[in-house]
Amino acid sequence: MTESTKEKALARRVAALSEEDLTIPEPNYRWMGKSHQWGTHVRPGKKGLTVGDLNVGYYAEIPEFWEDQTRMPRGSVAGRGGIPPIGYSVRHKHELWADNAADLYEEAIQRRWISTSAIPWHTLEALPDDVEGAMCQLCTELCQQANTEIETITRWQDQLSYGFHEVKLFLASESFDAARHFEVFRKRALANGGGMGLESRGEVNRMILESMGGWTETVALLHLLRGVFTLTVYRHGRAFAHNEAERVMFTKCTEDKARHLAYGLEHLKYAIAHQQDQAMILEQVLAIGEHVLLRELKDPVMRECLAIIFAGGIEGAGSEGMAKFEHLMGDYVRHYLSLCDWLGLQRRSMMPNRFKNYLEK
Amino acid sequence: MARFPSVEWLNEVRTAFNGNEEYHGAGGGACEATVGIKVDERNFRVIFEGLECIEASEIEEDDLSDLDFYLELKLDEWREMIENIKTNGSAGLDYTLNTLDLSQEDGLAKSRSDDQYRQDLFFRYNQTLQFFFDASSRVDTDFG
Repeated sequence: MTESTKEKALARRVAALSEEDLTIPEPNYRWMGKSHQWGTHVRPGKKGLTVGDLNVGYYAEIPEFWEDQTRMPRGSVAGRGGIPPIGYSVRHKHELWADNAADLYEEAIQRRWISTSAIPWHTLEALPDDVEGAMCQLCTELCQQANTEIETITRWQDQLSYGFHEVKLFLASESFDAARHFEVFRKRALANGGGMGLESRGEVNRMILESMGGWTETVALLHLLRGVFTLTVYRHGRAFAHNEAERVMFTKCTEDKARHLAYGLEHLKYAIAHQQDQAMILEQVLAIGEHVLLRELKDPVMRECLAIIFAGGIEGAGSEGMAKFEHLMGDYVRHYLSLCDWLGLQRRSMMPNRFKNYLEK
Repeated sequence: MARFPSVEWLNEVRTAFNGNEEYHGAGGGACEATVGIKVDERNFRVIFEGLECIEASEIEEDDLSDLDFYLELKLDEWREMIENIKTNGSAGLDYTLNTLDLSQEDGLAKSRSDDQYRQDLFFRYNQTLQFFFDASSRVDTDFG
């Protein structure tokens, strides 16, 4: 369309408008002054102006049940009418709350990192084929764990009410962290002469994704059962890093994962304290989850690739490498049980024997 | 030259840590933790707040239960770690806090109150803690 044609078309549209259409109405400003607490002056503290600092006066009232079914931010004025409901299903505070969520969100933002520049990729060096293959297989597995985390959280996000924005903000940062973990492990797999490995059977991934009974139950599987396992793998990945790039990669992922776990634990503690029978429900959920995790570990791919990394090659993987894998599992089970104890969940005496056996490793 | 272990040594490390902005960027960042350092019978408390380590002091054994967690090694093991850091400028792979925690029988990071949640701060702030000890490469240490 030429400029001249455009101008003619505009002139035709203007000519078709009435005088009233062309008049800008006098503003009435009736929306002004609609505030529950005007004159609020939140001052920055030692850490700056944090999300938690904003919880003052009326804005600090976090309800036990969030009535609103729209995206109304907590503390704003409701009642315009006619806004279609969104249909949030998680509306009770005990279903998602964690006292540390606002601080963890700030921590996630403050301690963020960029895999493109924070990882010294230039320190990667050629590895023997068997070790590179094992490393790439581990990265493939960790990519799948990360994308499970992204999908799980984002699927739940639109069910979580805006009355508890601290939690929604933190979970947004967690899904971004998980995206970065996916990114960094994919980069590692493709940056050193290897490539992506074999797809995981993903039984635990599927169990977490399909856990739709409640957010709290999903947290138990995602953050506690799987999260502690992933954290343990990250820590061992760091201990057996072949170069500075891997060391930094696993270090940063460890810190992120520990932060995710901190939300999970605080939420589970809150849910158990505020909801009758929640502990019993979680014990059942975890009992099922432990069996699925053990079944998945029967698949040799994960333990073999870790054993090769721990032994420094296929030679020795069956003896030294597997012994170190068993040690990893021991670290995992001890940490997991210690957290269950902290939550008051009876898992130590109830867990499957194969789990118990790892305690001595 | 500062003797390890002592408040004087920790303060020198603290100064080196606080004064190096590289420790605040990628890998480091704000940290809120009260950490113990146990060297045989002597115990120390180090407080991290924001981007800095704000205090180091000597404490009694019983005070360890008030801390988020504490790091325990024998004097000879601390010495190995600190000398490794001095030689390399930062901890070699066998001497990082993470590796030491995985390789010690009872772990490196411990809790007197059995509060696993607080003890997990060791993982959340692991690189910041590592940077703190790495800063000891800028301190001349005397082990007596």
